[in-house]
Amino acid sequence: MAKGNGGQRRVGGALGVAAAAIAAAGIAVLVSSRSASLSSVEGAQALPASSPSALTVPLPVRLPRSGTVAHWASVRRDVTARASPSYRASAVEELATTTPEGTANLVQVVGRARDREGRLWIHVRLPVLPNSRTGWVPRQALGVYGVVHTHLLIDLERLRATLRRDGRPIFRAPIGVGRPEWPTPKGEFYIRDMVTRYRSPFFGPLAFGTSARSSGLTDWPGGGFIGIHGTDEPELLPGRVSHGCIRLRNQDILELGRLMPVGTPVTIR
Amino acid sequence: MASNREELWSTSDLTLGELDRDGAIRETVERVSGETRATFLEKAVVGGAALLGAALAAPAASGATAKSDVAILNYALTLEYLQAAFYTETERLGAVGGELKPVPRQLGAVERAHVTAIKAALGRAAVKRPAFDFRGVTEDQTKFLKTAVAFEDLGAAAYKAQAPRIKSPALLAAAISIHSVEARHAAWMRFLAGVTPAATAFDQGKSIREVKAIVASTRFIVGHPKKTSTKNPHFTG
Repeated sequence: MAKGNGGQRRVGGALGVAAAAIAAAGIAVLVSSRSASLSSVEGAQALPASSPSALTVPLPVRLPRSGTVAHWASVRRDVTARASPSYRASAVEELATTTPEGTANLVQVVGRARDREGRLWIHVRLPVLPNSRTGWVPRQALGVYGVVHTHLLIDLERLRATLRRDGRPIFRAPIGVGRPEWPTPKGEFYIRDMVTRYRSPFFGPLAFGTSARSSGLTDWPGGGFIGIHGTDEPELLPGRVSHGCIRLRNQDILELGRLMPVGTPVTIR
Repeated sequence: MASNREELWSTSDLTLGELDRDGAIRETVERVSGETRATFLEKAVVGGAALLGAALAAPAASGATAKSDVAILNYALTLEYLQAAFYTETERLGAVGGELKPVPRQLGAVERAHVTAIKAALGRAAVKRPAFDFRGVTEDQTKFLKTAVAFEDLGAAAYKAQAPRIKSPALLAAAISIHSVEARHAAWMRFLAGVTPAATAFDQGKSIREVKAIVASTRFIVGHPKKTSTKNPHFTG
């Protein structure tokens, strides 16, 4: 063996010594213990077979690679959204923990940053006027995070709604939108909640609340929020017929209710 | 790690009503222990991991092998939900990087597989997934690693303590196959955190009561946010 293999030789020698020691120990056990004899080893074949696992073990479950994941967060306590990630920054809006419908107030998460003291701030899309506005809230004021893979596109020109999941269209329907004097606002929004089993036939069987607000009907009860809902006048669709809300035929809103989770981002263009 | 945990977590008690908004805990309790236990818990002030407490009461209360194994499996499922949600949220938010970047991806994939397997074994008896509020830990490098160490240590200790109580040999084999993986995770996380991976020659298990107290102290298990309503909407129409 070459000189350069001295290390390997030492390792090999050490392994040999270890193997010999293990063998010697094994022999000692066999000799010293009545139960650990060659015959008992043969008898081990009569032992019951080991139990199979009760679980069907799947492979590790990787997250799907998707470019359309969006996060929402619930507002855990009343908080002031600020213009930048600092308690010294100007106030943008006061956020409550619940919506006018009595559901948890959700905000869409669009980023995060730390202030000089190392505190974590979350950049969120806000349900305020002017529309599409964002602000910063301390992470401590937010609660549960949720994730969605869907995105709703509202095309005001073609009067059509398209829901995409992981980038693929899974739903399309004709819509009614705001009249010229009460236009449906354009911008980036999100679904805040879902309302069902209410009494009013005007909204059809199901309504989604969005973060969009009418810039003209600011004194509307509840703050003039734009909804996406059914209708009791399906013959008007598609058309520019509403006070700013997005109307769908009842079978379409029920289908959308099945496919679109709360928290879904909404683009109105 | 004890001081780190104290720094991360503060203790808080919740009532069952506040905690169990979707009825998952009550469902478990009623399934394994009967109405009396559920009524007791309803009135009691319980920790944030009351779901684990439900499993704690089950074997003694039911006395039936199948029921006690189901309770233990649901207890394991709750811990797996917690771990899987923790790593999944961390991976999705993408705020943890550097040498820790592969951790949530790899551990999350394994914990999700555990959830899938246990849920399949339980079928309709599986408890529902609770909601989790990780309070910024999934967005903080240091807190994430400390919590990962604590969770993996906890997972290994929880399985270890339950193993002797499992009646079915097939379920025991399954539990041990998960336990050893949790122990590997624990060693890996401890190594990354600069903590001795195996500091003792023999590990101690942790009882359900101990695990429950630790999980409750995190305040990570919360009620699902209310996202639907039946109130008459006031949208502009």
